[in-house]
Amino acid sequence: MLYRTAGQFKTSYTSDQALFPVRQDAVLLMIILGFAFVILPMTASEFAFQTLLIPILIYSLAAMGLNILTGYAGQLSLGTGAFMGVGAYACYKMITLMPELNPVVAILLSGFFSAGIGVIFGIPSLRIKGFYLAIATLAAQFFLVWLFEKWGWLYNYNASGAIQVPNMDMFGITVGGPRAASITQYYVVLGVVTLLTMLCINLTRGNLGRTWKATRDMDIAAELIGINLMKSKLTAFAVSSYIIGVSGALFVFMWRGAAEPNLFDIPLSFRVLFIAIIGGLGSIMGNYLGAILIVGLPVVLNTVPEALGLDIKSSMVEHLNIMIIGSLIIFFLIIEPHGLARLWALIREKLIIWPFPH
Amino acid sequence: MKNFTNLALGAALAVGLAGAAAAEGLYTPNLSYRTGPFAATGIPLMNGQKDYMEMLNARDGGIGGIKIDFDECETGYSTEKGVECYEKTKEKAIVTQPWSTGITLQVLPKTNVDKIPILAPGYGFSPMADGKVFQWAYNMPGSYWDAASMILTELGGGDQAGLNGKKIAFLHLDHPYGKEPLPYLESKAAEHGFELLPIPVGLKEMQNQSAQWLQIRRERPDYVIMWGWGAMNAGAINEAVKTKYPMDQFVGVWWSGHSDDLQAVGDAGKGYRSISYSMPQPDAPVMSDIRKHVFDAGNSLAAEEELNEVFYQRGLVISMILAEGITAAQANFGSPEINAEQLRWGLENVDITEARLAELGMTGMVAPFSTSCADHTGHSGAWMLQWDGNAFVQASDHLTPDTAAISALEAEKAAAYAADNAPWPINEECSG
Amino acid sequence: MLEQIFIAPFIDMIEAPDFLMQVLWEGLVSGILYALIALGFVLIFRSSRIFNFAQGIMVVFAALTLVGLYELGVPAWICVLLTLFVMFVLAIAIERIVLRPLVGQPDIILFMATIGITLFLIGFGEIIFGGENKIMITAELGIPTDSWVLEPFGGLLILEQKDVTAVAVAAMLVVGLLVFLNKTRMGRAIRALGDDHQAALSVGISLQTIWVLVWFIAGIIALVTGIAWGARAGVSFALEVIAYKALPVLMLGGLESITGAIIGGLMIGMLEKLFEIYWGQPLMGGNTETWFAFVLALIVLLFRPQGLFGEKIIERV
Repeated sequence: MLYRTAGQFKTSYTSDQALFPVRQDAVLLMIILGFAFVILPMTASEFAFQTLLIPILIYSLAAMGLNILTGYAGQLSLGTGAFMGVGAYACYKMITLMPELNPVVAILLSGFFSAGIGVIFGIPSLRIKGFYLAIATLAAQFFLVWLFEKWGWLYNYNASGAIQVPNMDMFGITVGGPRAASITQYYVVLGVVTLLTMLCINLTRGNLGRTWKATRDMDIAAELIGINLMKSKLTAFAVSSYIIGVSGALFVFMWRGAAEPNLFDIPLSFRVLFIAIIGGLGSIMGNYLGAILIVGLPVVLNTVPEALGLDIKSSMVEHLNIMIIGSLIIFFLIIEPHGLARLWALIREKLIIWPFPH
Repeated sequence: MKNFTNLALGAALAVGLAGAAAAEGLYTPNLSYRTGPFAATGIPLMNGQKDYMEMLNARDGGIGGIKIDFDECETGYSTEKGVECYEKTKEKAIVTQPWSTGITLQVLPKTNVDKIPILAPGYGFSPMADGKVFQWAYNMPGSYWDAASMILTELGGGDQAGLNGKKIAFLHLDHPYGKEPLPYLESKAAEHGFELLPIPVGLKEMQNQSAQWLQIRRERPDYVIMWGWGAMNAGAINEAVKTKYPMDQFVGVWWSGHSDDLQAVGDAGKGYRSISYSMPQPDAPVMSDIRKHVFDAGNSLAAEEELNEVFYQRGLVISMILAEGITAAQANFGSPEINAEQLRWGLENVDITEARLAELGMTGMVAPFSTSCADHTGHSGAWMLQWDGNAFVQASDHLTPDTAAISALEAEKAAAYAADNAPWPINEECSG
Repeated sequence: MLEQIFIAPFIDMIEAPDFLMQVLWEGLVSGILYALIALGFVLIFRSSRIFNFAQGIMVVFAALTLVGLYELGVPAWICVLLTLFVMFVLAIAIERIVLRPLVGQPDIILFMATIGITLFLIGFGEIIFGGENKIMITAELGIPTDSWVLEPFGGLLILEQKDVTAVAVAAMLVVGLLVFLNKTRMGRAIRALGDDHQAALSVGISLQTIWVLVWFIAGIIALVTGIAWGARAGVSFALEVIAYKALPVLMLGGLESITGAIIGGLMIGMLEKLFEIYWGQPLMGGNTETWFAFVLALIVLLFRPQGLFGEKIIERV
């Protein structure tokens, strides 16, 4: 009933190929955007901003970057964390070298550094495939994190080896550093994430996106029909690393406030990979669903014992948390290997014909 | 298996107490880590902290008549989880105990805005001692620079100048924590003419330090100073035994003196020293109270043999310092119910004298010290503990850090920190 | 600078041959352990195309079970048997609960599932055993704990007897495994499954039995690795990270090759130690062991995309 598409006629190719050919999708999106831009910021508490809203957005963006590479272009990468680090350190260097630089511009620029590094580490993908490539990206992961530790220039020779976000102003409002209000940071993150999401949706629907999908599905066949594999794979690495780099800069500058090298180590990469896979490879929306599950779930689980009035040790909660997340990953993989996005697609199919399935 | 019984007990208790868990009182959360690669050293400390507060609750009904709501939030030593815990607890908490240099560094700038004191006893960022700049941070009774200074003095035979021409390897965790004493050590190496050889141990190499110890064997340093934590300590001590490095030339910071780490090598570890700002006193009166009110009542997570160990008793000292801060604040503001800002004042006016220690039944467990508006560390000094093959025993008189040199360095680095994080509020009212 | 890179290290090696031998020995011991973990990976990968990330946590889990049982007062050798039984139950559970519903899914999904298993076992293990560092029951198992001090070239070479034991046991395990795979019915079934799934199934080889068997063998290997590694630095969850070290070994040796895993492990163990001591520490600030193996493997892969001993990748459209 609600999702009935009958009566929505398309009279031109343009309207048929529009981003949201089904009216209900567009309405639903407007509602979600309305929530994200107006209602949530008005109602969320400081705790919700810091542990749910901001991290979910940032992790979604990182997963989206990974999804471009793994989900669309079929190149498995385990080095996401390190590329986020490249973005964060590039942003830190730019901000400290040029304090007058607009923070948002700096964040968007920092993605280019990780894109460059991404292309360099993407070159082996021209010869190496599958799991071999995945392990090869681990070379980037471990080497870069080591470099963040050893190269003093990157963290301005700070004694502790950590980077600290200074107070940053933009048009008279503090957007970064300890004095920034969560709500300002939320809007900055939301703005950047929305912008990049639109970019991604369009890229993946366009010529480049189709080239990537062809490469993913069967690269030799793609080559035979005239697709330049080198261009296709390297652009995927570049775009993916750009987005991941921006998300890394947001991660440190709009959320964490400080970072040490091992923050970008392999657990971060796995976390982003979980989000992309649980959400659904080859889907933009899946990244958000995955992030809500992987980031939101532990926070919620942590509050459950308290809400129920159970007196369980916090370490026990943590252990149970890890167990539950591990089991849920397996559970979701078993019930829907194509991720939450596919689950939503199935629900939507059902809704379109509901309540008269025949 | 013990934990399993705990789980069963916990679950049973939980069902019984459902609904009544929201405790009232002064909320003093501890960002603990009982999981992960660092849990080995974290657990006994956190047991000690918890048991002291439980003892106060059971014996005196809390502090000044108000119960202490001592809660733990698990971080697994992950900075990310730590910040989450901080955000979660900051609304009600009157103090935050971050338990990791990484978490401390992240939370530090936020405390000015959130107005919650950080209590990082013997860890964190050494320049936090400068109370003018770091109004909300406390690391009494001693900072890492204090520890480094006392170790150097002791190795130099009572005078750091005695190290001239020597070679000292600095084996440290490659993490903000391990790098913390480097500025001090470097300045002293230049001053006294000894060679400093920093050897980092990555988080992934903690259990496999053969490369680091091969380097030590090649370089043949006169002394090895260790800034290790968690699984790194046991790994280093094992390798030291294996490479036959003379144990009496091997000294660790206070977090590298956990009995369990040495138990594995037993007699072979004889001679290893660790500096410590706390000293286990199995016969102290406070111990009988802990046994009576907490341990025998079955409310402790600690094992019997743990009670007399260095780390458990250090946990007691840490909670005692917090409790003294609360007491001071209560006395000054004339009300048992205090808030975070009042506790900040209390922590700034902690005065632990011999007489007070005797009153608390903790004589000898920590050296007397006091804090002030300008000095948030107290610089209590420490003792050397030495492994005798079976337990840590006292191996030196009470040592004091080279406060003059440290204060100058602290002021310099604190000013640099404030400049990097401008605008940073500075409390000009303190005068030295 | 060039002199420091190309000449000085070799002069160091020649001037102190005893030290060089010590470095190589340490590398060999680590290499053997990397090879053992890689062997666990290879067995599972060959028979089921699963890239089993949980091998690292299985090492920890096996070692913790062993020590945990011993702490309950069970005699050491009975503990070993009981631990093997636990690993067997674990193998069945993994096959039933995780693998069977996921048969035929893409590789990456199976890989993620093993990461899920890893997380589950970390949480589960910490609840049962606690997070404290435990001491491996080396002496109780009859492993000598002394060391031999040799003096080649008037220098000093220290050989830990437990390391020598580890090398010997690992070698026996590998030989035993090779015999098992080549000479027994079950072993040949495993290899057949690795060569061609469908053909193996059609001649009546039971997929389920083989999977349980393979995971159980991986469990045995995990236990041996856990004992050997635990004897060096104690048993705790920090041990889990050694699983990462097996990955470049696999790349270098090839995902399917047992010989590759062994040779790759030894090569990586020794080369990374040599590099760290003679180049990494003097020139690059140390800790190069975190990435050296990966970069080496990456360079090798650029020339041989299937690893040194991997099966040639034949692609058809």
